[in-house]
Amino acid sequence: MAEMEVKESKKKGPGVKKSKKHSTRVDLTPMVDLGFLLITFFIFTTTVQQPTAMPLNMPKDTKDPNLDMKVKESGSLTLMLGKGNVIYYYYGNDPTKMQTTGYKDVRKIILDKKKSTPATDLFIIIKPDKDATYKNAVDILDEMDINDIGKYAMVDPTPDEYNLIQQTEKAGGVQ
Amino acid sequence: MARAKIKRGSTSVDMTPMCDVAFLLLTFFILAAKFKPPDAIQVSPPSSVSNKVAPQKDYINVTISKDNKVFLDMDPGIKDDVLDELGAETNMTFSAQDKANFKDAGFIGVPLNQFKQFIALTPDEVKARAMQLPGIPVDSTNNQLATWISAAQAARLGQTLNYLIKGDDAVKYPTFKAVIDAFKKNDIYKYNLVTNSKAVPEGSELYKKNMMGESKK
Repeated sequence: MAEMEVKESKKKGPGVKKSKKHSTRVDLTPMVDLGFLLITFFIFTTTVQQPTAMPLNMPKDTKDPNLDMKVKESGSLTLMLGKGNVIYYYYGNDPTKMQTTGYKDVRKIILDKKKSTPATDLFIIIKPDKDATYKNAVDILDEMDINDIGKYAMVDPTPDEYNLIQQTEKAGGVQ
Repeated sequence: MARAKIKRGSTSVDMTPMCDVAFLLLTFFILAAKFKPPDAIQVSPPSSVSNKVAPQKDYINVTISKDNKVFLDMDPGIKDDVLDELGAETNMTFSAQDKANFKDAGFIGVPLNQFKQFIALTPDEVKARAMQLPGIPVDSTNNQLATWISAAQAARLGQTLNYLIKGDDAVKYPTFKAVIDAFKKNDIYKYNLVTNSKAVPEGSELYKKNMMGESKK
């Protein structure tokens, strides 16, 4: 590859020592390789690191009870997000029958509900309480995406539900 | 007859011009790359399966830090108009100096009564006291974030702004709700939550849906 041929030095007369002159040329191929490698690296890293955004559409607040959305009791699943990454869930509209789960197992509960209810009736109500974190809310909204749930709403828990959560937390010793 | 001698050229090519080009391009890309200024407020957003890229134009970005403080920044292109509108809404007057300061300021992290002093700070000073900044009040009684949003909305009347919300993992839900309420006060119901992307879990409904969509194409 490299041109390392040595040109014959001219004769400099008798008695003059012949000094071998090396070519000054260097093989630049590895340098080119390195250059393009870096270019490729920079191009990839600049375009890939873009944050994604999750679209969130909230309903308009309405004071008119007639405009409130009616949900079939048989098709509703309420998920209450509590302290310490715990989810309390119940079917229909009886909060006293609530059960406890975590973020890893909630997918199964949602899927089971989805399978056992007609698609038009299915409605998931998400109620993050005061101790839930933003991550909890995003995770559960993400879960709606993952499980392809068409209808869901995010609302505040009622005072009764909140008390119930508090009692459960006290009993369970959740900090 | 003697055959014409074919001169055997050397197979080695001079790499110097190619090397020059490579490094020229490298230098160009490094210099041309827009370096993102390091965020003064460190936030680690949660992850979601969404693959929509967060809009980078005409945006209003509400950042919620992990100690539940709210900060606001926006597209530099709309800052001038927003300040005009804000002045009109709050009866504050802003000098040309204030406007220039605001343009240079990265984000807003103080209540309105400290606003002018805040934008006069240099970026280094802001960085030094980033942890002590009080944030924009979002209480139901004194929701200044709503005022800011209303000013931004008025500044870009008829055009759609992209409303980004970037919260830390540890943000408590009530703060997030207060931010949503500030938007709702201005009749804005569509937001983009900035998240890190993560892969769709294999075998889930969305995964199947995506696969179906791809096979149809």
